[in-house]
This record gives sequence, structure tokens and C-alpha cells, in this order.
Amino acid sequence: MNEKLTAKELAGLLARLALGGVFIYSGVIKALAPAEEFAYAIESYRLLPANLALWSAYIFPWVELYAGLLLAAGIFTRFSALFNGLLLVFFEFMLAQAWLRGLPITSCGCFGNGGSNSITHEFIQNIGLFVLAWLAFSYGGRCSADRLVGASAVEAAQPPVGAA
Amino acid sequence: MIERKNARLLALACMLIFISTIAVLMARQFNLGPTRPVPAYRAFGPADAPVQIYEYTDFACPACRHAAGKIDEMLKVFGGGLRVNFKHYPLANIHPWSLHAAAYADCAGEQGKFKEYAGLLFAGQEKWGLAKDKPKEFEEYARQLKLDWPKMLVCSNDAETLKRIKLDMAEGDVKGVNATPTFFINGKRAVGAAQLIDQAMKFDNVLRSAAKP
Repeated sequence: MNEKLTAKELAGLLARLALGGVFIYSGVIKALAPAEEFAYAIESYRLLPANLALWSAYIFPWVELYAGLLLAAGIFTRFSALFNGLLLVFFEFMLAQAWLRGLPITSCGCFGNGGSNSITHEFIQNIGLFVLAWLAFSYGGRCSADRLVGASAVEAAQPPVGAA
Repeated sequence: MIERKNARLLALACMLIFISTIAVLMARQFNLGPTRPVPAYRAFGPADAPVQIYEYTDFACPACRHAAGKIDEMLKVFGGGLRVNFKHYPLANIHPWSLHAAAYADCAGEQGKFKEYAGLLFAGQEKWGLAKDKPKEFEEYARQLKLDWPKMLVCSNDAETLKRIKLDMAEGDVKGVNATPTFFINGKRAVGAAQLIDQAMKFDNVLRSAAKP
């Protein structure tokens, strides 16, 4: 439990908290705004019809929030990091197809309505976030709920000292 | 042991999800979410005014007409300390032409006469508000103000205009607006002119000191 924190583990921990924080922020900012606002951003990618875009806009902010929370807290850390990574791959696909098709995206919908960078900027930023997801997946186990709960489960499974 | 660990983690995950959902829903209810800026022609008063009012209004609603008069008085008295941001919240289920009125008002705004057109819409709301066919008043008011009516017609059918109004409405829904006029005075909710004045009194000192030359 009191092993020294290695540089890799520190990087994994920081990556887990940073990426979790980004997803929590992104989810909350969108969940607090009207779903229609995010739906317009989704529609601008021209992959979904309007009604499905609205349903996605209702659901997606919560998925981001929960995914970010579980990752930051280190609950099922590797699965959470993988899931967040897959979300980033999905975002990259959306951005790439918009860029290739030359779609006039004025707001990428990445962080609600509060300002939007260019598609290229967002694409590069997501690559950086993907590296964080990889670090969290590989070395993000320290100071996680996984470890804390694991340790307490071990203690609970051991017979009390002096038991017959 | 692994099953026990997973069960505990699952319980922890459910608890986090539950708490975060409640926190976000409460933040919505207490109006802690961001507010979309309004177009420049729908904002009155200095941008850095210490008291910011967001007003959700329907042009066909009599209480909104009454409140519009109070807002004008407040702007005259507390000019420097107050900024009023006008948001559309047409109650289309009871006022069939409200959405059209909102669109025309925005289009008048793009020609620099939002306030004047809004004034005429409020003043004449009994004539057009419950009309069965499309009211001719919309065009009359535009001609009265020497606005370019054909341009307004094009603008009122533009997807961007309708999107802007619908986003105002959706934002009102998220903030729990269900009656007009609803105001948010530095984030504090007030419904109707009486509550508006009551809430504004709480900022009296700020308003008066900012209004002093």
C-alpha cells in the first residue's frame, strides 16, 4: 500500500485525473445547457437526422460526465480509460469526416456553446487527450478506488487475528 | 473476493452516478448553467452593468406588455447600472402568432429597430395575438417604421432566425421557465412585473450608485 510512487505511475495518475476532469467538464457544461444547442452542433456533422441528433444530445452529455467521473475516481480504471479512449476515437472520426467533406462547422459542440476552436485544432487536441487515455490505461492504477476497494476486500476476506 | 471487490466498485459507481445526476439537475434548477448571449439589438444598457436582467418574454402576453413598461422605466432611472437582455419565449400553444412575432422582431432588430418594433407588437397585441389568419399588423408595423418588409419576410423564414428563437425557448425550459414574463436578475428568478420590482429592490444600492454620474 505504501509503495513509492514511480514516475510512470505519477504520469498515469495525473493523466487519469486530467482526462477525467476534461470529460466531467465537457459533460456538465453540456448537461446544463439546452439539449437543442448541442443537437444543432451534432446536426452540423451531417451524419444523423434531426430527431436522432436531439436524442444523442440528451444522452451524450451524461455519458461523458459518468465516464469522466469513473475514470477520475479510478473505478474499473482500465475499462474506464479504454471507454474514454474509444469516445475520443469516435470524436476524431466525426471531426475527420467533417474536415474531409468540407462541412462548414462553426461550433464543434466539444465543450458546449462556450467557444469553439477550428476542426484541426480540436483534432490535434484530441490526439493529446488520447495519449492521456493511454497513460491512464497503462499506469493509472495508483490512488484509485480499484486499489482502495481491493485492499479493503483483502482485509475483509482474511480471518481475524486469533480466530480459531 | 474478486466478486466482492467488483460488487463494491459497482456500488461506488452507482453512488457517484446518482450524486452527480442530482447535482447537475439541481444546478439546472438553481440557474447555475451558462446563459447564451443575446444579439446586440436585444440588449439594452452597458455591457458591464452590475445588474444583469435576462427577460423571457412572449409578445402576445398581456403581463409581458405590462412588464415591458416597467423595464423601460427602470432603464431610464438606473441606466448605467442595468443591462436588460431580451430572450424570446413564445407560448405558441396559447398564442398562435407569438413565434412569428418573435421572428419579425428579430428581423426588425437586424435592420436596427428591434425595440421600436417590439413596442408596436406589445401595443397592438390584442389585435394580432389571437387572430385566426395571419395578421396584417406585422407588415403594417414594419411599414410604419420604414423597414424593408420583403427582407423581413426572407429573414423570418431563415433557419438561423428560427434556430435562435428555439434556442432561447429551450434555454428557458432548462432554467424552469414556464410562465411569461420570467426574469433572472443577477441569477435570481422573478415571475411578473411585481416580483421583478421586488427583486430589483434588493439591488437598489448597487443600481443607484452605478446610476450616479
